[in-house]
Order: sequence, then structure tokens, then C-alpha cells
Amino acid sequence: MSTPLSLSDLDLPRRNGELAFDAPWQSTVFALAAAVIEHAFGGDREPFRKQLIAAIAAQPGRSYWESWTAALEALVQALPGQPVP
Amino acid sequence: MSTGGHHPAPVSPVEQRVAALEALLTERGLVPEGFIEEITRRYESEIGPMNGAKVVARAWVDPQYKQRLLSDGTAAIAELGFGGPEGDHMVVVENTPGVHNVIVCTLCSCYPWPVLGLPPAWYKDPPYRARMVREPRTLLAEMGCPLPTDAEIRVWDSSAEVRYLVLPVRPPGTVGMTEAELAGLVTRDSMIGTARL
Repeated sequence: MSTPLSLSDLDLPRRNGELAFDAPWQSTVFALAAAVIEHAFGGDREPFRKQLIAAIAAQPGRSYWESWTAALEALVQALPGQPVP
Repeated sequence: MSTGGHHPAPVSPVEQRVAALEALLTERGLVPEGFIEEITRRYESEIGPMNGAKVVARAWVDPQYKQRLLSDGTAAIAELGFGGPEGDHMVVVENTPGVHNVIVCTLCSCYPWPVLGLPPAWYKDPPYRARMVREPRTLLAEMGCPLPTDAEIRVWDSSAEVRYLVLPVRPPGTVGMTEAELAGLVTRDSMIGTARL
């Protein structure tokens, strides 16, 4: 096992002073959407994008990654298969 | 609030929802082991504005590459090894002394990931998305990018089909610089169009 690195240990792109993610749950939900797009939609991003547009429009003041989360929840609920608890 | 300093921070509602999604999607076999870590690593250390900077620097030193870049952005960017999600149809728009281009996504957060990484927070916020279309000159000035009154501003609204990248004007006084040195001058914001070099 390698020692987990903290973010500050890595040479992250900080050229403009911002990192891509502010918290681990944000990178998790970002990657989960990528997983669903890749493995449930064959790489087609459009269904997720439509949900994201709807989620942002529904609550414009909500934080971006929370809207992203809501969009992924809606997308997953529409997946065929087991019902979402 | 904890006073001992050894208790983890309470889990927020959105963290709980993300954990539930992760559990559900993993159970359905949609999240291969290590997938989340790999995607995160890639977007935090490999995919970012340094890629776009290489494209811009190449265009500055190689007129033929610049021509290819402006006529088929996706293919020219792929020549440098960049492509993938949100980069299927890239259009590069060239700044000139008289024309300033800037990109926005009015509906959500479409952005050229392969060359710029993930968008900054302000790009995704409602004020930027609304105002860049309505009053670009004022907003650009507020963002520290005042433009001459006779400069034409072209605002490109990203869509499902197209992702834009701005090719900034090569700064004066850079004759003789190497391609790598030039790439070091190119900022993310100059490729969004909210800054000039």
C-alpha cells in the first residue's frame, strides 16, 4: 500500500488559483456521472447534460456540485432496472 | 461542535446523497474498482489549462498548425494528444487586435475539458452565464479585462454540439521565445477570453 497523498502534496494545476474540486464528495459525484455515462449510456453525455440543465434551472441559486448531484440522481432514477431506494 | 479535535466533521446531506449514489451504482456494477480515484487523479493532475496552453503556443510558432487549428479544432488538438469527453467538436476562435472572443455556457457548464480541464467556479455561476451574453463589455471590464471601445466582442455560447477555445493574441516582446516558454505565458482565462495576455 502506498501512503495516501494529501492534495497539497501534489503538483496540481493552480495556475489560476483554483483547483477542480473543493471537497472529496465533489470529485466522487463527478466521477460517478462519468461512470454512468460510460457504462450505462455508452458514452453519450447528452442525457446527463439535459438533467444538469434542468437541475440548474430548477434551483439557480444552488451550488453547482449540488445541482450536479441532483442531475445524477434524476438520471439514475430513469435508468431501467432496479428501483432507486 | 467538537472540542476534542478527533471527531470527524459531521457528514452533510449532500455528502450522504453522494455516498448513497456511490453505493447504488457500485452495486449495479457501473463503477469499476478504482474508477473514481482514476478519474479524480486525471482531472486534478493531467487534464487542465496546461494542455490548451500547448495548443496555443504551437499555433503561435507554426502558421500551418494554426490554419489547421482554426479550420478543424478537434483534429488539430488531437495531433497534440488531447481529446475525450466534452471535446468531440472543438472550435477555436482567434483573437485579433480588433476582435475579442469569449466563451460561456448559458444553460449549464459546457466547457472544453480536454484543453482546459474543469471550469472554474465563476464560469458555472448564474451571474457569469447571464451577464456575459447581456453585457459582455461591462462584465469583462469588471473581471479585469477592459477592452478598447472600438474592439468587437464575440460571445460564443457553448452547446451540446460545440465547445469553444479562444486563441489569444501572442504578446509583444516574445520573439525568439521557445514553444515551451510561450506555453508558460498562456493562462486559462486568456483561453476562456476573460483575460488578455
